[in-house]
Amino acid sequence: MSQEIILEVKDINKSFFGVQVLHKVNLEVRKGEVHALMGENGAGKSTLIKIITGAYTKDEGKIFWKGKEVEMNSLKDCQALGMACIYQELSVIPALSVAQNIYLGREPKRGKTGLIHYKKMNQMAQELIDKYEFPLKATDMVDSLSIGLRQLVEILKGLSSNSQLLIMDEPTASLSAKEASILFQIIDSLRKQEVSIIYISHRLEEVYRLSDRLTILRDGRNAAVLEREEIRPKEVIQTMIGKVVDESAGSKKTLTQNTKEAALKVEGLTRKGFFEKVSFEVRRGEILGFGGLIGAGRTEVMRCLYGADKYQSGKIWIEGKEYIPTSPKKSIAFGFGFVPEDRRGQGFIPLLSMNRNMALTNYDIIKQMAFSISSKEEVDMCEKMIKKMDIRPADPQKQVGLMSGGNQQKVVIGKWLVRNLKILIVDEPTAGIDVGAKDEIYHILEELAAKGVVVILVSSDLQELVRVSHRILVMRKGKIVKELAEGTITQADILEAASGIESQEEVAG
Amino acid sequence: MKKKFSMEKYSRILILLLFIIVLTIIRPKSFPTVNNISNVLWSISVVGILVSGSIFVMLLGGIDLSVGSLMGLSAVVTVLTIRNNNYSNKGVILGIALALLVGIAAGALHGFFVITFHVPAFLVTFATQSIFLGISMVLTNNKILSCLEPKLFTNIGLGRIGPFTFPIYFMIIIALFSFFVLNKTVLGRHIYAVGGNQEASRISGISVKKITMISYIISSLTAAVGGIVLASMTQQGMASTGVGYDTEVITAAVIGGVSLAGGSGTIQGAIIGAMFVGLLKNGMNLMNVPSTNQGLVKGLVIICAVALDIMQKKEKVGGNV
Repeated sequence: MSQEIILEVKDINKSFFGVQVLHKVNLEVRKGEVHALMGENGAGKSTLIKIITGAYTKDEGKIFWKGKEVEMNSLKDCQALGMACIYQELSVIPALSVAQNIYLGREPKRGKTGLIHYKKMNQMAQELIDKYEFPLKATDMVDSLSIGLRQLVEILKGLSSNSQLLIMDEPTASLSAKEASILFQIIDSLRKQEVSIIYISHRLEEVYRLSDRLTILRDGRNAAVLEREEIRPKEVIQTMIGKVVDESAGSKKTLTQNTKEAALKVEGLTRKGFFEKVSFEVRRGEILGFGGLIGAGRTEVMRCLYGADKYQSGKIWIEGKEYIPTSPKKSIAFGFGFVPEDRRGQGFIPLLSMNRNMALTNYDIIKQMAFSISSKEEVDMCEKMIKKMDIRPADPQKQVGLMSGGNQQKVVIGKWLVRNLKILIVDEPTAGIDVGAKDEIYHILEELAAKGVVVILVSSDLQELVRVSHRILVMRKGKIVKELAEGTITQADILEAASGIESQEEVAG
Repeated sequence: MKKKFSMEKYSRILILLLFIIVLTIIRPKSFPTVNNISNVLWSISVVGILVSGSIFVMLLGGIDLSVGSLMGLSAVVTVLTIRNNNYSNKGVILGIALALLVGIAAGALHGFFVITFHVPAFLVTFATQSIFLGISMVLTNNKILSCLEPKLFTNIGLGRIGPFTFPIYFMIIIALFSFFVLNKTVLGRHIYAVGGNQEASRISGISVKKITMISYIISSLTAAVGGIVLASMTQQGMASTGVGYDTEVITAAVIGGVSLAGGSGTIQGAIIGAMFVGLLKNGMNLMNVPSTNQGLVKGLVIICAVALDIMQKKEKVGGNV
């Protein structure tokens, strides 16, 4: 690897609506290195990348490309220089072949006729594929390829315009283990061909496996830049989280066992390809936290438990009796409440009013006369909820799609509170909402638990998990890998279990 | 809480009133007569009946293109049954019952394909449009079957109470029923929810399949009713009797503010839309606009209505649904 610096980002400041999210951030990428970028959710990784690729404009700071200062105003600028970004959401077109995708909009033509020279295009694509030894054929149709291979097409697209720097944002998030290992091989071969890569990932083991250097961001600031031999798992985690032992709320907590009887028992729950043999118990009045990385299978377990998805095997007992969830309708009638992970996509009906949204799950308890709903009872129920959840402005007719994220989530949660709940499952309940609303939501979860409701909290926010949960289970790759039930626990404990460091320690350290 | 006067909510009815006033001023002798108004209402009554059912499918974000040819099939089935029963009253009742059954079956068929195979609604109903027309043609040998009696049959489309013919009352009754279902019942609440966000509705315990099935059946059922009424109005059964009504229904709904993307729109709006189209035609006739130019005007009105709707929604900060 040469010492030549291909991209240098210096003293970048960026604010959104008066809140500074990047403070004098630096990043330096050498030619032919894999440079990992890590940090917790909200540390500023995506913002930094968006500034580099021209999607956002920086407030202050400079960007140098091969030593020359450049201005990035659009994705085109960044492509022109020789940078390509491989996004999590793929932009390949399924109905076209690999070669057609690679050369989309830049197809080689037959002389001046304007007709596409397919033979030449396929040849060019195949040469490119052979050069980097991708397991693809130029004439493959993209819709016949797995997600992993589609990602390779996306990478090829970047390479075809002679990119010298690839930015990969969580490239393995939707890949199987086998697909990921193919990707790693390709990254190795790209490195040999002197292509630089900025590699963003939550998964520590990938970073150890791949990266030559590592930049860690914390709260919008540079926390560390580590050379390969300096990368040690535990220290990386501590650097990401903050001080070794942070005294602030939510960084550690002492847990004691709840000794009440088990209200919910799950045994050997399996949904092939998502999670396997998941077993756990929750006691009455307990808040059980589920930690793990995105894609660890937590959401999928919850959806099966609630009856939104089917599972292949396993048993569920509630209060000693076997329960078979067949549909959300059945689960709701039984006493379930469910706050989905994807608030906008699954949580509410944006066009409908707060009143209608809150009533949606509760028509079984709203009075009806000859099929006619009592509008008064409907609105009364909503107004009660608005008060309880402290939603402002308190207008039941307000369209939920036009409200703030925090208020939307209060509506989603609120509709369950009028019911006689036995079990409430909340999946990422505070993602993207402000601190005040977060506190109120925690308060409500605690209140429910105190009343004897079983609360299951899935969260990727470590601070939240430690602060709210009475007990924490950590999932990794579809399995429960750790239970944190007693004694002092820290955010680092969860992150270590979630990224599987314990088993990797000898290798990396 | 006192409601603010919402321009958006009443803009359609205001435009309609304005339009009526303008027509009254331009054609004071021919427009504001009981006879003419009754004629306009009679002319839109079938569209009004159809849209009262089609709106269910549109609120789900679907569309029913088979309405017109299903009307033809319903008309043919009714008239054939009456003729085969020697124009007896029994034949009329049997014919109506059969036509309604055909409607229910057609709706169930649409629902089945949309639910089971996730075929887009416009494709399913586009295919059945051709199928229903084909069946009607086979049944009638592609001939016009006239049916001038009994009175029980001809009265459906031509009988009157006061100055207004029966179909106008049918339209009012069916539209009121539709209003009740959409605004007062759990089914109605669920339809708006599923149309607004299917996944969120499913998670909220709504059976999306059931709602979809019911909506398609209601849409086809009103098409069957429309076919019976039209058969009686024209005193004949003909395969192509309903051709063009599918677009009339969509026109009325769109002008009335029903979103084809699903989740928003009201039956009041759709009926106002139908009236607007009826008045537009009537106005053009009274002003001697040649019928060759009327399609052009109608098309322009649709585009303006849609553009106005989108502009209003953009301006809107809050509001009712």
